[in-house]
Amino acid sequence: MNPKTPRRDLLLRTALLAAIAAVSPLLMPTKIAAEILICAIFACATNLLIGYGGLFTFGQAAFYGLGGYAAGFLMARFGLPWPVPLVAGLLMGAVSSAIIGAFCIRRTGIYFIMMTFAFNQMIYYLAYTFRNITGGEDGLVGIKRPPFGLPGMKPLNLDNPTYFYIFVAAIFLVSVLALFRIVESPFGRVLVATRENPRRVASLGYSVSRVQLVAFMISGAFTGLAGALYAMLYWIMPIDAVHWLSSGYVVFTVLIGGTSNMFGPIIGAGIFIWLQGFFSTLWARWPLLFGAFVVIVVLFVQGGVIELFRRLAGLLGGRERAGAS
Amino acid sequence: MQTPIIRTEKLIKQFGGNRAVNGVSLDVASGTLHSIIGPNGAGKTTLFNLLTKDFPPTSGRIILYGEDITREPPHAVARRGVGRSYQITSVFQNMTLAQNVWVALYRRERQGFLNFWRHADLDASLREEATEILSRVRLDERTDRLASELSYGDQRLLEIAVTLATKPRVLLLDEPTAGLSHEETESVSRLIAALKGRYSILMIEHKMDVVMGVSDRVSVMHFGSMIAEGTPEEVARDPEVRKAYLGS
Repeated sequence: MNPKTPRRDLLLRTALLAAIAAVSPLLMPTKIAAEILICAIFACATNLLIGYGGLFTFGQAAFYGLGGYAAGFLMARFGLPWPVPLVAGLLMGAVSSAIIGAFCIRRTGIYFIMMTFAFNQMIYYLAYTFRNITGGEDGLVGIKRPPFGLPGMKPLNLDNPTYFYIFVAAIFLVSVLALFRIVESPFGRVLVATRENPRRVASLGYSVSRVQLVAFMISGAFTGLAGALYAMLYWIMPIDAVHWLSSGYVVFTVLIGGTSNMFGPIIGAGIFIWLQGFFSTLWARWPLLFGAFVVIVVLFVQGGVIELFRRLAGLLGGRERAGAS
Repeated sequence: MQTPIIRTEKLIKQFGGNRAVNGVSLDVASGTLHSIIGPNGAGKTTLFNLLTKDFPPTSGRIILYGEDITREPPHAVARRGVGRSYQITSVFQNMTLAQNVWVALYRRERQGFLNFWRHADLDASLREEATEILSRVRLDERTDRLASELSYGDQRLLEIAVTLATKPRVLLLDEPTAGLSHEETESVSRLIAALKGRYSILMIEHKMDVVMGVSDRVSVMHFGSMIAEGTPEEVARDPEVRKAYLGS
């Protein structure tokens, strides 16, 4: 490989992500655009496990919810500076996914899926039970967005939709670029190898369970961060966010968009939130449309919507790039 | 006598009511090419799976250069220098040839996998070494092709290249010519002959011509037990072996 390619990819990627973040609020209400970016972080973090690790988790909402509760609790009760709730969400996601992941990776296939699902349900009922922290069924209310400030700068009120959107967009940009880099790093390549053939990876001297556990933690950290932003978005952390349905939706989101690189889940998040945001107001049965969309994509566009873009790029003469590594 | 590179003591593997490996005691001398032959279902691959700790043995001991590894996990055994190629081709299909070799090289040269920030392809020395290793199996013209694009025979060569990239002290080759055409078998045989003497090799093989030409010692396995061991000539003459394996 040409050693300049990673640099060119980084520039191209940053430009594309910035363009996505800049154009979205022109096409839809900023609130929905912000929700898309938050969902995109969630979906990209999930794709680290699904697409790159081959770990079909149906329990990501647990980390999303825990991250959101941790951040939301701090924002509702204490007036802490803006980085604190974000770091709390991130750490909560990382720690909880380390604990839950350590159990789940002991099994593979359907048993792995069932474990992630079971833990998600447990966390949901814990959230349901500890209502003095989580608000139970009513959701965690009274969340206040902290003002955003940097040293030598007048603090910005994040209750202003534009400022809040820019804040979310900046975190989106940093998170997704970090995930892009992680999947291209030595760690990312070893993770892809464990997806391809775990036994072979062990026979080359890697501890497969350790690689998978680290993947879980990274995914959980970014998922928790997304959860923290979600708690800010509507000033409430609803219990639905931690329900396993939310885990299912994020898996669909990833599959619709495509798992082969991190742009896939972003496209998926756009489609999912857009369908939800627009059709839910017109028609209460909007998940039917979403279901139809999933079926169409799975049947006709294997590899997700991103595959269409790739084919298009192929037709335009760009050489298709190999592999998901 | 020198410490054997691999020694097993009364190794047993029980699967339900079936004893796939039944009290195997084997010594592989350092620097030799030792082959294990035997009919299908004799327990040869299971024995390999025990040696690399893919399964834990039911009882018995495994000793690698004088050290007991019976209780170690598979990746720890690999780190002690046991390199293996599998009977069913085990390459990373959706990765390029260079990336396949890279996974093995990185473990050996860079220790661990906790590097998240550097682009994996920016390490020039690993890239060069990957190309060099692929040239040993004559695949260096296709370093950026996906493994899945290779023919079955070339995938086997790639797998051996990946195993060599770990710089093993002992090579376990599980039917390296299984499913190969006549020409492909020839090229793998030539490779094995070239590796002989540079590595200690324990090989499972079905094709008698491959085994007899190249092996220093041959062990014969039948129904989970070793029924004979000796030089290729001695084994070929052994009446019990002829009865069990050659069916005459």
